[in-house]
Amino acid sequence: MKKHDFSLAGLILVAVLIFSLLGCAQNEQPGHRAAESENGDEQAGDSSGGGLEPITFTAYFEDPSPNWNNMQDAVGKVITEKTGVTIDAEFAVSGVDRISLIAASGNYPDLISPKGSADQLVSAGAMIDLTDLIEQHGPNLKKVYGEYLPRLRWSEEDPSIYFLPTYDGVGQTYFDAGGGFQLQHAVVQELGYPEIRTVKDFEDAIRTYMERHPTIDGQPTIGLSLLADDWRILISVTNNAFYATGAPDDGEFYIDPETFEATYHYRRPEEKEYFRWLNHMNATGLLDPESFVQKYDQYLAKIASGRVLALTDQRWQFQDGENALKAEGKYERGYGHYPVTLNEQYVRKDFQGTGFMGGWGIGITTSNPDPVRAIQFLDWLASEEGQILRRWGIEGEHYEVVDGKRVIPPQVMEEKRNNAAQFERTSGIGLYEMFSAKYGDGVLDSTGNYFTTNFPEQIVESYNEVEKEVLAHYNATTWKDLFPSEEEFPVRPWGAAWQIQMPTGSDLSVIFQRCDDIMKRRIPQAVLADPSEFDEIWDQFMAELIEAGVEQMEREYTELVRKKVAFWNET
Amino acid sequence: MAGSKTWFSRSWPDRCFDLFNFMFMIFVLVITLYPFLHVLAISLNDSTDTVRGGIHIWPRQFTLANYEVIFQYDTLLTGFRNSVLRTIVGTALGLISASMLAFTLSRRDFQARKFISVFLALTLYFSGGLIPVYMLIRDLGLMNSFWVYVFPGMVNAFFVFVIRSYIDGLPYSLQESAKLDGANDFVIYWRIIMPLSKPVLATIALFIAVGQWNAWFDTYLYNGSARHLTTLQFELMKVLESTTTSGSSQDFRGQNMTEVMARVSPESVKMAITIVVTVPILLVYPFLQRYFVKGMTLGAVKS
Amino acid sequence: MEAQTPPASASLGAKSNDTKWRSFCKKAFQQRYLYLMSIPFVIWVFVFHYVPVWGWIMAFQNYRPGLPFFEQEWVGLKHFLDLFTDRYFYTVMRNTLAMSLMGLAVGFTLPIFFAIMLNELRGSLFKRTVQTVAYLPHFVSWVVVAGIVIKLLSIDRGAVNEWLLWLGIIDQPIPFMAKEKWFWWIVTAADAWKETGWNSIIFLAAIAGIDPELYEAARVDGAGRWRQIWHITLPGIRSVIFVLMILSIGNLISIGFEKQFLLSNPLVREYAEVLELYALNYGIGLARFSYGTAIGIFNSVISVTLLFIANGLFKRYANESVM
Repeated sequence: MKKHDFSLAGLILVAVLIFSLLGCAQNEQPGHRAAESENGDEQAGDSSGGGLEPITFTAYFEDPSPNWNNMQDAVGKVITEKTGVTIDAEFAVSGVDRISLIAASGNYPDLISPKGSADQLVSAGAMIDLTDLIEQHGPNLKKVYGEYLPRLRWSEEDPSIYFLPTYDGVGQTYFDAGGGFQLQHAVVQELGYPEIRTVKDFEDAIRTYMERHPTIDGQPTIGLSLLADDWRILISVTNNAFYATGAPDDGEFYIDPETFEATYHYRRPEEKEYFRWLNHMNATGLLDPESFVQKYDQYLAKIASGRVLALTDQRWQFQDGENALKAEGKYERGYGHYPVTLNEQYVRKDFQGTGFMGGWGIGITTSNPDPVRAIQFLDWLASEEGQILRRWGIEGEHYEVVDGKRVIPPQVMEEKRNNAAQFERTSGIGLYEMFSAKYGDGVLDSTGNYFTTNFPEQIVESYNEVEKEVLAHYNATTWKDLFPSEEEFPVRPWGAAWQIQMPTGSDLSVIFQRCDDIMKRRIPQAVLADPSEFDEIWDQFMAELIEAGVEQMEREYTELVRKKVAFWNET
Repeated sequence: MAGSKTWFSRSWPDRCFDLFNFMFMIFVLVITLYPFLHVLAISLNDSTDTVRGGIHIWPRQFTLANYEVIFQYDTLLTGFRNSVLRTIVGTALGLISASMLAFTLSRRDFQARKFISVFLALTLYFSGGLIPVYMLIRDLGLMNSFWVYVFPGMVNAFFVFVIRSYIDGLPYSLQESAKLDGANDFVIYWRIIMPLSKPVLATIALFIAVGQWNAWFDTYLYNGSARHLTTLQFELMKVLESTTTSGSSQDFRGQNMTEVMARVSPESVKMAITIVVTVPILLVYPFLQRYFVKGMTLGAVKS
Repeated sequence: MEAQTPPASASLGAKSNDTKWRSFCKKAFQQRYLYLMSIPFVIWVFVFHYVPVWGWIMAFQNYRPGLPFFEQEWVGLKHFLDLFTDRYFYTVMRNTLAMSLMGLAVGFTLPIFFAIMLNELRGSLFKRTVQTVAYLPHFVSWVVVAGIVIKLLSIDRGAVNEWLLWLGIIDQPIPFMAKEKWFWWIVTAADAWKETGWNSIIFLAAIAGIDPELYEAARVDGAGRWRQIWHITLPGIRSVIFVLMILSIGNLISIGFEKQFLLSNPLVREYAEVLELYALNYGIGLARFSYGTAIGIFNSVISVTLLFIANGLFKRYANESVM
């Protein structure tokens, strides 16, 4: 009986196999047909190239755009009217990488804007070289990228241009500082606006205020609170180690400006001293004991309670908590940004220039039926007319020109502020940011107006009275004035190292992940340890990094940086 | 059955048992109600105020604004329709396939029983991975189609085994007497086994329905460009994106931080979404609950 | 055996094989409805579950999306060797197995206990209310539940510490979330809180299928409540319990990573990371599809082995099995 069971099983298996193979074969056909019809489209497209006949491109963007309205918004309608192009777009959701599926399946959209996994599309042969197309059909693109055009090239080995950078705005300038070390306005007010320049000043201010006010609104005062919830540990904890020791943000590496040698930045001796200081803060009770345990919402809730005196964070990260304070009118519990370093010997390089960094952007795939129309479309979006339309909207509807100046009428501003999502959906302003090349904040157009809607006057306007008062006592108008300006430092010829992509799936990326795991475990340990054990834990940390291959990683990364410097700056 | 006696006529240990049980259930009630009320309270609270924390089961600054954020998207309606549709179709097909297979596998004399059992069980423990599945779906022509919601997961081995273990517990004599009356296996399945299995079928229906209702990843992968096939969960997922800052560790260095950051209040909207998603599926439960009444089914058939 | 039989009986053997075959076919014909009701689904399962397994080949390549399949670089067992020589792999396996076994113990006893107690409850409305409410937490996402748990256990005004201080059991708040040794227990408890009600549904359904005459008879014999539970309810749902248990044992190392990830923090990482998070961080997360697939294969092999062991043991000692 058993034997029969088995033979029957075999029979069925064979039958099923045959059946499914047939099924597969049959199902292959529609795929082929689709490919053929694509070719057909291409020919049709070529013959109509350059005209304004309506054409639809499919597109995929590796970033969410929840208010996308299928170009039925005001700006979208104008774009279609001017170019004849309609974009049928899909957007990523929840950071799930779909690029690898797209690359693997060979079903490419006409236009694609990937992020970190762009190299998978390139190695799959999905992208077309834009060099000649830009040369022939892209005067505006050439103008926007200008001298940086060579930075668009893929690599030394493959100098094709596959993507037009859209994340980074050309000529971007920063008007305000959102980083540094933060102290509540109440603290500096009470202490008579002392100089906050070194970690010692910072620490003394916290301690003195805490001693005088052991509770705030009936709850225990918290000195310095850190956040270590997943990747946020980089922002609130570890990036400060290089900022406070006079290095700019190059991600997890320190790049020697002379030799371009890359060092995993924790391995710099001066950073050990920075973490020793954090350890000392903990030992003396100035550090929030929940610093490495709390989640983001707990951290924000603490800030919103007004009893956290100091942070070492970026404004965009703690802003929600501060906004809750402002909503209650507790302006003196808001935070100022101070250029704190480990000691006087260092200066903060938050604003050291990078030049145009290129980076992620949009490209045309081999499936595109009409690359010429596509590049013309992207070029139009990069024109002055296109950029103003994308940022400001439609004249008379979203902005007015008064005495040659573009202004946003109050009711539009109101709408934009109070009903941001709805405004974006109907106006389309903000929906086309990632569609083509763009200028950054602070760049003026031919009429002397800013391309973007962020400009310096706005910054000061957005400060509250307490902020203005504190700034006045420090002889500054913006927080940025407290920091060394970009003019004091040379532009980094490698841009910013965090932009340098490690090849996906490479050994380098594996070692990096390993080091990252070690770091996230060891740094909290070192900071929370008894001061007498700090050195021991740190030595262990360093030894583990070496065991994980940090030296090999640094060597390979140095190569990447050097290649980039050579490649970007060759003439 | 228990209701036939009154409280006073019952024995002392019996009453003790009931008292303990009652206390225990009150405890369960309190601790399991808390998270849901917490979500509800935050969804009805002002989002800026929510950041301050400390909200438990009652909103501090009442508002409906979080729900307004959600309901301004007209695509929700299409999504809702498709979600209902996939839940109904998916549950019906899933239930039929699982119960049929379960019935055949419960028959100890069935020749292919062992083979099919092993063949099914293995599927619970391996997967080809995302890329091969994606390519299979494409090759089967299921991209941009409603059926991609239903077909790939239609036969679920877990459900088959659960139903089978239930059928195993039914008296086999019922099947035998039906056979003597000349009923074929399909008739036995449909006329005898199915009605008797209502409790387990209701359970499995609930499992399938909840799974179907909550699914969004398949919409994203396979039907992202087919707007008429969108689902409620997927649309809400997108709404959530509009309020959440990007989570990858490289993104925050992008230039558009100010713009991204202008859309805040993720916490409250997230909670409102949880409520919007959960309430419809919760409404299904009371309808299924009546099938869980002890002894109802067997007694009905026997008498 | 057959080779040794003398030629005289060989024809007999052939004959009996023939009759066996005939009786097999006859039986198959008798069972045609059973075949009709199962084979289509078997094919279905083959297409959707077995066909994609060709992707396992990736584990022996350095797969890069987009290149034709046979132009991929072949690397043999490299990814498996990498996996087994990674010291961190053993840490995540320890955590996975520990939390999984604890979850298995709690995840069966509590729902069964709850279902039985619920079944013993008098008063239909109260019973229905408890039942409905108890399954609500299942619909609250892990993000929310983890947030509530962390706040309850916080040293900064967390409810648990406040109570303990108030009761005078401790004089310093305990940083529960910062203690490595507590992490597994916290995860298990949070899981029980969230899923007990939901998991009990299946047992409730099974109890509903028990013949009420059995209880009636027991009561006539003077059996108390506990004895009824012990001698009728539990044996009545035994089959469902064992089947679920066998299937869960097969799933011992695939326990997801969401709850562990959301409850963890840098201080307890050593005890929080599980295999699936490892697969994500070192596999798909780094676009190392091959490595991810290798982990998947490892996972499947262990799972299937566990399944057969559990199935065999239960078959032998409890006479219940899945296959």
